[in-house]
Amino acid sequence: MTRRQRRLGPSAALLLVAAAVGALVVLPLLRLVEVVLRESGGDLAELWRAPGLASAVVNTLLVAVAVTVLAVPVGTATALALRRPDVPGKPFWRVAVLLPVLVPEFVLGYSWTQSYGRAGFTDAVLGQHWAGVLGPAGVVVVLAVSAAPIAYLLVAVGLAARAEPDLERAARASGARSLTALRTITLPLLRSSVAAAAVLVSVLTLGAFAVPQVLGAPAGFDTVTTRIYADLSRGSDPRSFVEAIALALLLVVVTALLVAPADTALGPRLRVRRVADSGTASVRMPRRWPGRVVAVALGGYLLVTVGLPLLALVSASVTRAVGLPPGPRNWTLDNFRAVLDQRTFEAVGRSLTLALLAATILVVLGGCVAALEHSRAGRGAGTLIALMLVLPGSTLAVALLIAYGRWLAGSLMLILLAYLAKLWALAHRPVSGALDRLTPEELHAARASGASQLTAVRTVALPPLVPALLGGWLVCFVTALHEVTMSSLLYGPGSETLAVVVLRTQELGRIGPTAALSVLLSLLLLVPALVLWLVLRRLRPPRPPRQPALPITTEAPAHA
Amino acid sequence: MPDHTGATALDVRGLTVTYEGWAALVGATLTLGEGEVLELLGPSGSGKSTFLYAVAGFQPPAAGEIRLHGQLVASAASALAPEERDIAFVFQNYALWPHMSVLDTVAYAARRRRTRRGAARAEAMPILERLGIGALAQRQPAELSGGEQQRVGLARALARHASLYLFDEPTAHLDTQLRNVFIEELLTRQRDTGAAAVYATHNAEEALSIADAVALLDRGVIVQIGTPEQVYAEPVDLWAARLTGPASVLTAPVVATGVGTCTVLVDTIELTVSCSNARPAVGSMRRLLVRPGWSRLGGSATGTVEAVWFRGPHTDYLVETAVGSIQIREAGTPRYHVGEPVQWSLRRSWLLGDEPVVGEETDVSPAPLPVPSDSPRH
Repeated sequence: MTRRQRRLGPSAALLLVAAAVGALVVLPLLRLVEVVLRESGGDLAELWRAPGLASAVVNTLLVAVAVTVLAVPVGTATALALRRPDVPGKPFWRVAVLLPVLVPEFVLGYSWTQSYGRAGFTDAVLGQHWAGVLGPAGVVVVLAVSAAPIAYLLVAVGLAARAEPDLERAARASGARSLTALRTITLPLLRSSVAAAAVLVSVLTLGAFAVPQVLGAPAGFDTVTTRIYADLSRGSDPRSFVEAIALALLLVVVTALLVAPADTALGPRLRVRRVADSGTASVRMPRRWPGRVVAVALGGYLLVTVGLPLLALVSASVTRAVGLPPGPRNWTLDNFRAVLDQRTFEAVGRSLTLALLAATILVVLGGCVAALEHSRAGRGAGTLIALMLVLPGSTLAVALLIAYGRWLAGSLMLILLAYLAKLWALAHRPVSGALDRLTPEELHAARASGASQLTAVRTVALPPLVPALLGGWLVCFVTALHEVTMSSLLYGPGSETLAVVVLRTQELGRIGPTAALSVLLSLLLLVPALVLWLVLRRLRPPRPPRQPALPITTEAPAHA
Repeated sequence: MPDHTGATALDVRGLTVTYEGWAALVGATLTLGEGEVLELLGPSGSGKSTFLYAVAGFQPPAAGEIRLHGQLVASAASALAPEERDIAFVFQNYALWPHMSVLDTVAYAARRRRTRRGAARAEAMPILERLGIGALAQRQPAELSGGEQQRVGLARALARHASLYLFDEPTAHLDTQLRNVFIEELLTRQRDTGAAAVYATHNAEEALSIADAVALLDRGVIVQIGTPEQVYAEPVDLWAARLTGPASVLTAPVVATGVGTCTVLVDTIELTVSCSNARPAVGSMRRLLVRPGWSRLGGSATGTVEAVWFRGPHTDYLVETAVGSIQIREAGTPRYHVGEPVQWSLRRSWLLGDEPVVGEETDVSPAPLPVPSDSPRH
């Protein structure tokens, strides 16, 4: 390879990334600002006085605060619990606690109405229901359940990177009880991870749409995202269109206000690379509660928050009429027959096509950014792409609609652009992580062993990247498959995705068919999700081999 | 400092520790008197850290008992938490808390005794001063060098005022010069406090130079316990001999036996060696351990110089002889070249193991040795 060619690679990638970011995010957001400024005559001030608007904004902020307050402690506690070596079935629990985030938000929200709402599962079986599930309380609880795994993941990474078990042991050997060691050593070390989790959870909650739409809107509880949806559904009213644009801008401003200081304060610390493993990762010390209790608590939590609702959802999908007690006597497949029509099949086809295209393009874009990060020109690219993840979907959709709606309104192309903009970070993270683990020394060692540059890349750098690329592809595919926030704002005649069909069916109040469609959507996700799980298991760096072990049955030497 | 007159500092019996189905330590038994230093010597993975972790309470035993000053602190049935044991720990990786200043790190133990913050810091300061790191009090761990970090680790342990110190390869990450300074410091402080100490290392020189007693660990089993002189001069087998220092192995016939001794004929040299453990037949071939200082150049036996290593204060020669290769140490600079014929003689040797020689020298797998459970020294 000549020197000239080597320089060409990064600059081409840089051009591609810059063009994509410009077209997908920068230009649309600029158009958004421009339109808002243009309309900001008397109209905008008047807009604020529109009935329900101020309360929607306040609701959004309150929900974000409440969800953060609930989800971050739950996620932190889960991470701490799963670090204990005495919890039986730990590998299983590590995957199981991610379940709430793997279930599409719409399905999770809807399943709660079917399990705990009026005429739901518990109502039919026990005669008990929770009226609050439709309304602010339900919105907050379900969003917290679905956000807790994100907090868990961030805190678990922080634990692995910063809280070596020896640090806690040193505290215990200095006279600290286990709770004191947690308070004085482990939690302070996790401060930045917990803060990052709080920022991410609140920002994602600001942009959440499906759960507020399913649980809040029917009870008259509006948030900014549901309001934007309602505004755009109203069709031709120009005033509601302006309101949607203004709200979209507001959402991104609030997000930026949250993220910018957090990224400045936490970014450098969070980007610290993980130090070497300190051998035995287990902290086996006397504990107040045995590991079994922890496992039972986790199981109970998952059963109540995900297991029972999903069971109720399936039950509702095969039950003949709402309110009938669940049981074989009332089982029917009518709901499935009713929804498996031409329209659904076409929507499934569109969803699969979109997800396939988006994932494939995103892996290329994500790989470009990951490669750029390692060159001088593209050092900030990774941060930029990561920030795109927290852009609220509603804002992105509205901005893209303004920028390209003239040509692409109602087309699959516009939805695809939205997916690309929103999910880029998801494709970038795994590849970037795999590249980070690759040290220059490994490539040098390959060269010193006689490999040419190309061979070194092929034999040393590429193998660990393959599962990462596959993992990134699958994450994008699964997420695109059930995306509803942007799709529901951008679809037109002939471009409905399956998630949109589910949402529309739910709006029509058809409980059985909605449940059936939700089950179908979940099943559609199950296959790639299972593949993803297998891939992610391979993504983990292999553990160092054990030292030569003695069989446990070896008799102790007969000492006096 | 607690007074524990009449009790041993540490009494470990039949200690077995397992990790998820494999045994890291099997049936370890030893005792340690007040104020004594015990070295755990073994290669990495031999169970040194596991032993210390079990004594500290970081790892519960699967079998056996641990007593500190006569008090049972751990058995298979129950274990006291680390904070309830009278121990202090110094970690191989320092394990300094990244969010705490040096002063607060050393004041931590006092804080846990419910001392107020100001008083705890006032208590910590003299410890820092004594270790010569008073000027670092306000620094964070990230701003310290490796040697400074380990001094803070030692200061933190001293602040615990424990009667048993556990050192887990504290010098593993320090360079040689720093290592010697640190060990000197550590021993001075530890003797000041009158506390006992268990010190894990894989460095034989370090182990032999500072210990009252040395325990050799091989794959989770204590294969020998004795004074440094004992384990160096009378290793239980070839593996132990190689672990504790440079070892040459010669093959020679037994020509006569006496009470607890026997006479071997090494080349032209007749030598009486102890054979209390082995009872070899006259005429059988046996393996003999020779340490570098036990032989010298000049004498009746002959050989050829195979290799020469100049080591500074002395020179090591590897001499090929009819009975095997032997390493001979001599003060000063080299005076022979490779290939030159030399004379040599032997003044001391140690009969290895029980099994007769078969062909080439091979590593014998270490057999557990019945060890008297009494304190090995004093």
